[in-house]
Parts: sequence; C-alpha cells; structure tokens
Amino acid sequence: MSDEDFDTFLGKALVPPEREPDRRFVAVIQARIALEDQLAAQRRLALSTLAKQGLALLAVAAGLAWLAQAGPVRSFLGNESGLGLLVLLAAFAFLVVLMSPGAAAPSLTRRFGKA
Amino acid sequence: MQNANDEDLALSRRAAEGDGAAFAMLVEKHERPLRAFLSRMAGPELADDIAQEAFVKAWRAAAQYDGRARYSTWLTRIAWRCRLDELRKSKPREFDVAPAAQEPGERMAVNDMLARLSEKERAALVLCDGHGWTHAEAAELLAMPLGTLKSTIARAKEKCRAMWSGDEP
Repeated sequence: MSDEDFDTFLGKALVPPEREPDRRFVAVIQARIALEDQLAAQRRLALSTLAKQGLALLAVAAGLAWLAQAGPVRSFLGNESGLGLLVLLAAFAFLVVLMSPGAAAPSLTRRFGKA
Repeated sequence: MQNANDEDLALSRRAAEGDGAAFAMLVEKHERPLRAFLSRMAGPELADDIAQEAFVKAWRAAAQYDGRARYSTWLTRIAWRCRLDELRKSKPREFDVAPAAQEPGERMAVNDMLARLSEKERAALVLCDGHGWTHAEAAELLAMPLGTLKSTIARAKEKCRAMWSGDEP
C-alpha cells in the first residue's frame, strides 16, 4: 500500500461511524441535568436556611448580651457580669440544641434501629 | 455550515434560558461525533462518562457560547478538558483499551495503532483526518502552534504507517 493509499485508508477509518442519534443517551443526559438542577436547588435552599438560622442565632445572642448589660441584671450579678453572659449563652445554646427539629430523634433511630 | 451554526447558537441561547428540549436537540445532533472522538481517545467505556460530563458542563455554560466557533468545536473543547481532568486523576493510565499484543509484521487494527500514539498525536490525527477539523481549530484545542500541530499529525501518520507495515518494533 502506498503512503497516499494508507493516508486515505486511515482517514476513512477515523471518520465517525454513521448511525441514528442515540435517544437513550439523550435521555440519560436529560435525567442527569434534571438531577443536578434538583441538587443545586437543594443546596441553595440549605444555604439560605443556614444563613437565616445563623442570623437569627446572632440576633438572639446579641439580645442576650444586651440583656446582660442591663442595669438590674448587672446589679444582680454584681462583678460577675461576664460569667452571667456566659451562663445565659450556654443556657441559650442548650435550648437551641434541645428544640432544633430532628436534632435528637434521627440519631436515636440510627443508634437503636427501627422498631 | 453557517446555517447549522446559527441554528446551534439559537438552540444554545434557548438552553441558556432553561429550555431542556432545545438542549436535547443539541445533544442529539452532536453526541455521535463527540462520542466517536472520545472513544478513540479514551476507549468506548470511559468515552460515555466523559461525554456525559461534557454535556452537563455545556448545559451549565450554555450562556457562554457566542457562536464565534462551531458548536461542535466549543463542545469538544469542554470534553477535551474533561478528558485531561480524567487523565490527571487516573495517571499513568493513558488509553483504556490496551493495544493488542502484536506479532512482528502482523497488521494492526486502527485502534491498536492509535493506542500507541501519544494523547496529542491521537487527538490531532483523529480530529483533522477523521472529523474534518481545520488545523487551526485543532491547534487551538490542543494549545499548540499551528506548525507544531502539522508536524504532530505528520509524525502520527508516520508512526501509524510504520506500525501498519510492521516496521515498528
């Protein structure tokens, strides 16, 4: 086979084979895109919820700090206003953990299994 | 050619606005050559994974396609980057269909010959000789000067010719 013949043969062999469009592949891509869009929406929702909850926590913590500085509370705590703030924040954190939805139940279910 | 590109640009713009049906038409139109190229590059099994990744990225980046290059060129560029990422992750494996053991003088199948070329030689040869890409398009994709691309193709053909005739050890 001459060089030219070989080049022609190679060129023909490298042409993508003719066939009908693969609709199954198209469907796979569509499903994957739908899944990725769904995951992205869930990620966005989770992030915005986290941001809102963070803001709410900050607001409550700031409120507690302000409360700890109030005259009657300060006089009640005497010189231990820093300690008082810490106690208030700890109590608040405990309440958050206690009252956050699903914080305890799933771990119990995981630990003990379903009945 | 220009009409086909205008049509692709219109479909891509619709896809950028969230029109899944328009994007499905683009996938239907371009999956065959893209998967054929990737199959030559990575072997048939990995080719589909890379093609899926490339199409998902093309969907996300649909607004960035401006119609200056052919849609197939733009899409192949995305797929090529996916292929390079995949290669980085799975080094030193280069071609996922190992070349068959060859008796001296025995004629080789085209895939076996391609498997013995370097990644860039294979890509340049397949795109320019098989897919009808211009040298300039392939040079841009492979990030090499035009002259280097031409010599890469010539070297690839020379190697294939030697393998075909059984001259290569």
